[in-house]
Amino acid sequence: MITAELIQHVAGSLYERALKGIPADTHRALQAALGHESSGTGRRTLMMMLDSADAAEREGALVCTDVGIPVYSVKVGTRARLEGPLRAAIAQGYEALVRRIDPPILKMVTHPLTHERGHTGRDIPIVSFDMVDGDDGLEIVCAPKAMGSGRWEELKTFVYPTLEQIESYVLEVVARAGSQPCPPIVVGVGIGGSFDHAARLAKQQVLRPLGQAHPEPAIAAMEQRLLGAVNALGFGPMGLGGQAGAMGVHVDYAGSHGFMPVAVALNCWINRRTGARIDADGHVEWTG
Amino acid sequence: MTPGATPVAGVPAVPAGATPLRLPLSAPDVRALVVGDTVALSGEITISIGLPTHRRMAEHAAAGRPLPVDLRGGAFFHLSAYLDEADGAALPRALYMNPSTSTRYNEWMPTLVRGLGLRLVGGKGGLDAASAQALREAGCAYLSFLGGGCPLLSRAIEAVVASHWTEYISQFRLTTLRVRDLPATVAIDAHGRSLYADLHDAAAQRLPQVLQELRARREAAPRFGAPPT
Repeated sequence: MITAELIQHVAGSLYERALKGIPADTHRALQAALGHESSGTGRRTLMMMLDSADAAEREGALVCTDVGIPVYSVKVGTRARLEGPLRAAIAQGYEALVRRIDPPILKMVTHPLTHERGHTGRDIPIVSFDMVDGDDGLEIVCAPKAMGSGRWEELKTFVYPTLEQIESYVLEVVARAGSQPCPPIVVGVGIGGSFDHAARLAKQQVLRPLGQAHPEPAIAAMEQRLLGAVNALGFGPMGLGGQAGAMGVHVDYAGSHGFMPVAVALNCWINRRTGARIDADGHVEWTG
Repeated sequence: MTPGATPVAGVPAVPAGATPLRLPLSAPDVRALVVGDTVALSGEITISIGLPTHRRMAEHAAAGRPLPVDLRGGAFFHLSAYLDEADGAALPRALYMNPSTSTRYNEWMPTLVRGLGLRLVGGKGGLDAASAQALREAGCAYLSFLGGGCPLLSRAIEAVVASHWTEYISQFRLTTLRVRDLPATVAIDAHGRSLYADLHDAAAQRLPQVLQELRARREAAPRFGAPPT
């Protein structure tokens, strides 16, 4: 039995952990980038990034003041037994964390029509659900989305695009963001499906662990050549110049129609994402 | 993480090779700054990331009305701070700070740079060509702070000197801090050279070649529909 109290605790902890450190794969990717970076400014910037992430973890400090809007993705096993609500428990866990987190966090949730700011709002936290056939547990991923990278994400609907058009569009979006999304970034690309599904695919690809290639060789090759192209643009760490413009480009696709949306999602260098799996007996495994 | 590679908590982190700068800077001090220089600032800085704050500052500057804090010769940065008023003291404590995207304020920056007589501005991501032109005319430079550098930048905070327009939320207020060894990189200098414009132009120039290499690699790549590994 998975209780509402446990879900609240996990939802709050995931958000807090996302704000006070960076994922282990991201730390490794920044260190690897430091080894390849030939720009002096780029190397100094990467070293400061690693220092900042380490200090946040050690001191329980925030890595960035922009704590973003809280976004959770939940996978529910069809055999999971929940005691009490799920969506409400996630929202309560988030709200309780906002009240207790030390240091306290700034108000970033903004009413889209009045620009009034707070910690809560309509549909906040943003929670999406998927079902997993046969599973008896629950998986929750928290990926708070802030302005630095959120501002530059894009979706465009093509009609029967060529591969060249798709790849050029990805580069165009990254070039438009240029120095601003706090590179080295992670780029997620969703091709096809419907308007909403392409965006969802792109987001899921941003959350894919770094260094994990797509299982289809043709897509994996596309990811590699796009990563090379993004880095060749030269924006470098913090957009001050250098080779380390991106830590990964992750692509996925879905069956579509003659109209084919292409979505490009971005994460900044702190690459916020934490995850947990809750087993049927209430055991929690922290996955990131 | 290498033990000892990171500074001890509470000890200001000055990046190796950083030039220490004591604020306020004179006009020749600012003209001596070169794009790519790493600097460590000590002295008073004024910060805000509020759009309403910028609009209001620009209105003051345009009308020649004084701001609650005199920024002539001063430093104004797009840094976002949490001000803690919990202990009821006359001035809040700044718990932490970090930069925000400066291009959001492009509309107001030329007016602020020219009208307020600023010597330093900054944040992250740079400013547009009109702002860079204003920087050159006014003898002002733009500094880039590390986005996600909250723990490092916050160590430099010594005290809140003043906080105005307190009707706004914390990060929108016009707040003056005293800092010690605040690390930054010169990204647009007072001669009008902008790292951002240079990189943007270089990327645009490189793009045809990058697209051509993509095409070559695409042609050599495995075909779609090949079985998963």
